[in-house]
Amino acid sequence: MGTGILEQISKSVIEGNQNEADRLTKQAIQDGISAVEILDEGLIPGIRVVGQRFSDGEYYLPELLVSGKAMRFAVQQLEPFLSTGSGSCTGKFLIGTVKGDIHDIGKNIVAMMLKGNRWDVTDLGVDVPPEKVCDAIKGGDYDIFGMSTLLTLTMPAAHETIEAIKKAGLRDKVKIMIGGAPITQEFADKIGADEYAQDVWEAVTKAEQLVGGA
Amino acid sequence: MSMTGTERIAKALKREEPDRVPTMELLIDPKVREVILPGASYEEFIEHMDLDGHVLFDKVYSWKYETVDEAKGIVKDQWGALTQFGTELLGHPVERAIKDEKDLDRYVPPDPDDESRYEPIKQWIKRFKGERAIFAHATDVFDIARESFLGDVLYYEAMVENPELVDRVNQIVLEYNLKSIRNQIELGADALSVTGDFAMTKGPMVSPKHTARFLTPATQKQVELGHELGVPVFKHTDGNLWQIIQLLVDTGIDGLHPIDPMAGMDLAEVGAKYPDLCLMGNVNCGATLSWKSVEEVRQEVKECIKKAGYGGGYICMSSNSIHSGVKPENYVAMIKAVREFGKYPLDLD
Repeated sequence: MGTGILEQISKSVIEGNQNEADRLTKQAIQDGISAVEILDEGLIPGIRVVGQRFSDGEYYLPELLVSGKAMRFAVQQLEPFLSTGSGSCTGKFLIGTVKGDIHDIGKNIVAMMLKGNRWDVTDLGVDVPPEKVCDAIKGGDYDIFGMSTLLTLTMPAAHETIEAIKKAGLRDKVKIMIGGAPITQEFADKIGADEYAQDVWEAVTKAEQLVGGA
Repeated sequence: MSMTGTERIAKALKREEPDRVPTMELLIDPKVREVILPGASYEEFIEHMDLDGHVLFDKVYSWKYETVDEAKGIVKDQWGALTQFGTELLGHPVERAIKDEKDLDRYVPPDPDDESRYEPIKQWIKRFKGERAIFAHATDVFDIARESFLGDVLYYEAMVENPELVDRVNQIVLEYNLKSIRNQIELGADALSVTGDFAMTKGPMVSPKHTARFLTPATQKQVELGHELGVPVFKHTDGNLWQIIQLLVDTGIDGLHPIDPMAGMDLAEVGAKYPDLCLMGNVNCGATLSWKSVEEVRQEVKECIKKAGYGGGYICMSSNSIHSGVKPENYVAMIKAVREFGKYPLDLD
């Protein structure tokens, strides 16, 4: 019974069926399945399939977004039952779009998928100056800082941000990831980022690798 | 006797050989222009660089804006979206026009027949008609409907969950665009440009099925109107287009821009597969024009012309626009290289 409903929950996320994800999650709670189990064996395997399909070119932004929405609806049902420390959080992720750039869809989708994969995400928003990034790193215990830039023009701001982190003596405190349309591995290496992610799923998997996960 | 820019562009769009490979841009940032020719107007700059055509970008030349927050650079665009202008010529929507489907019932679209929109194109036509190709312009329906009306997230979700909402919004934008296109061409534009990205670096933003259902039908209507009014049409979309390129070609476009090198699009490959298409762009403005050397620019332009210029049908342009991050000396080097290597008959081996 338990296994069946968890598989159905996964399927509802994969299909982006928010009503089903919501209904089945409520049902699973009523059946006495723990919130952690619903998350780890129902929702997360579902969103992982979605991420993989996106990465493989089988799913596109619309499918990714409706699946993400289904996941969010279901997680809302679980929140009252997920006490702090129940189940493990993958890590703490600080994210933002670099100074001078106000584009946010890529960053938002990465943040959404990270949250779906049990990351504790703090979003600094768009047009984030390097000093704000440094303050956040100082004030929080983040595993990774991820920055996004859509514009070729703002690529130097990514470099400046890393330089500011180094200057503040914070470089060893966080791993740094970078992504965005004009970014290449060559550029990421040049500015000294730890990882470059070409798409949202690569961002999730590389983040996990950076903290020694899957 | 050498050809005019208008003739060169017309020949290239028909995939015929002009006297030299033509060159133009979608947009050239004022900061780059100012370094190359201080104090000059856009028109003077075009003459100075002897560019063969010019696109009257609707967001810059004919859309109306109301200032909302001057300090933050936030304006309300003509569709009702709040748009923030950063360092580039084009703004980025920060708040969509339609919050709820009911907003559409009382929505009043902007007036495409407002004469004041067409003052700039009239001036350009007066100055350049017969010398340099004047491109009428429409930001593609997908771009406006998604960015200004519904916002990315709602638009994409509605494609799956509420396709009728997408159809309604698309139709409002399409009706405006068709009237605007007609007005611009009737005033004397030589060609039509329809711009708006359908793809990202790895592939299309939406599936080929959704592209065919929601995106290309509107593009096709605009292309057909251009042809009905006797002008050639090119479509601009960044990104890796391989999964949807046939859908784009099937809209009837004469040219495709910018064959995005950062997304792995290759001029020779597209040219081999679509020999009837005029290819435009491909000089990498993300890397080469922004931070590589003048000699690397020269070699890249040569390579582009070598790949796409033989037999005509190539317009040498950057891979998006001359944005503010382009090194001015690299843009000058690009134009010099087009003149150096682009003279027909080509001999680049």
